[in-house]
Amino acid sequence: MNDQWTDRLSEYVDGELANGERSALEAHLATCTVCRGAVAELRQVVARAKALENRPPKADLWPGVAQRIGAGTVVDIRSRRFSFSVPQLIAATIALILLSGSGAWLALKPRQTQIVVTPKPDSRFETINVSTHPTDAAIADLQDVFERNKSKLDTATVRVVQQAFTTIDRAIADARAALQADPSNAYLNLHLADTMRRKLELLRRVNAIATAQS
Amino acid sequence: MARQTLEGPLTRDEPTALADAETVDTALAASGDASAFERLYRTHVNRVHSLVRRMLDADEADDLTQDVFVRAWQKLSTFRGESAFGTWLHRLAVNVVLARRKTLGVERGRFHTGEDPLEGLSGRRETPEISMDFEEALANLPDGARQVFVLHDVEGYRHEEIARMLGVVPGTSKSQLHHARMALRRYLDR
Repeated sequence: MNDQWTDRLSEYVDGELANGERSALEAHLATCTVCRGAVAELRQVVARAKALENRPPKADLWPGVAQRIGAGTVVDIRSRRFSFSVPQLIAATIALILLSGSGAWLALKPRQTQIVVTPKPDSRFETINVSTHPTDAAIADLQDVFERNKSKLDTATVRVVQQAFTTIDRAIADARAALQADPSNAYLNLHLADTMRRKLELLRRVNAIATAQS
Repeated sequence: MARQTLEGPLTRDEPTALADAETVDTALAASGDASAFERLYRTHVNRVHSLVRRMLDADEADDLTQDVFVRAWQKLSTFRGESAFGTWLHRLAVNVVLARRKTLGVERGRFHTGEDPLEGLSGRRETPEISMDFEEALANLPDGARQVFVLHDVEGYRHEEIARMLGVVPGTSKSQLHHARMALRRYLDR
């Protein structure tokens, strides 16, 4: 089989021929059984390629990956069944926030127990002062969206989310209060920014979940 | 409207729930959580390994698959979430494979233009239906045709993207794809 159209059949199958060429080829196909058969087979090849199944490697490759990335304990989780509920997803976010919150508490604790920490004069973070105005505005916008969307969520879920907001807002307020006394404290500035970012993330995620219920 | 409870099962579409779970795992892995990264590995290893195996020799597939995931771990901080994690990982895998091919200097048969790229490679042309299945036939294509076929027909890349990745013109990509398909017609039933 080799005529002027032979090498264009795949382009025809993929719909990549210009209108004029396509019409000419279709006129040819009406009279050429060989090309018509080839087009049918090419379509089958394309379908076969899309249907190829992905096979697992013969051996578990994770231990080698784990070793190279420095993961401490290699746990075989293949037999576990993972499923996540919305509350679990929210809980994961809250857990991240609380972990961060505990970091802030540790940072503030020395002040309460009169332990004086003198920063090194050459600290590269000494004069950091993170502006939170854009984040405040974004949080306010998303909070409005949440207020409109929360009726789409279960009341128990809304209660958990609002408890999380209370925790985050307290952490934000604490960080701001501490910064009043020590405006250039690098850790507090970064912690404030990070906590606000986590509130943004939680708001985004909850709003996305609520929207998905529409 | 489906509603969710704290105690009840997830009522949203399962794909959405899985995507949320993967988003959480990606964030956790990016912060250094190896367990979360292992879950991502378990989800995607079959697809990555199959891609590597189809584009390179089977005996390279295990090592390259591990390389892909190690690179993913190292580069997770650059993942911005503009696409799904799987899409990002897959593109990374393609880049690792192509880089490996350059290192190996894989060039044999790259610009094959003959009628039957499989002829002479299997040594069993008379009875291909009993000697090779479709995947094996794919593995015996000349390298250029094989790469283009895998990227276009299996993985869904467009000719313009493939041309950029391989450093050829789109016309070459189209030509290689056509030769690959023509050669593979005989292995449809396997």
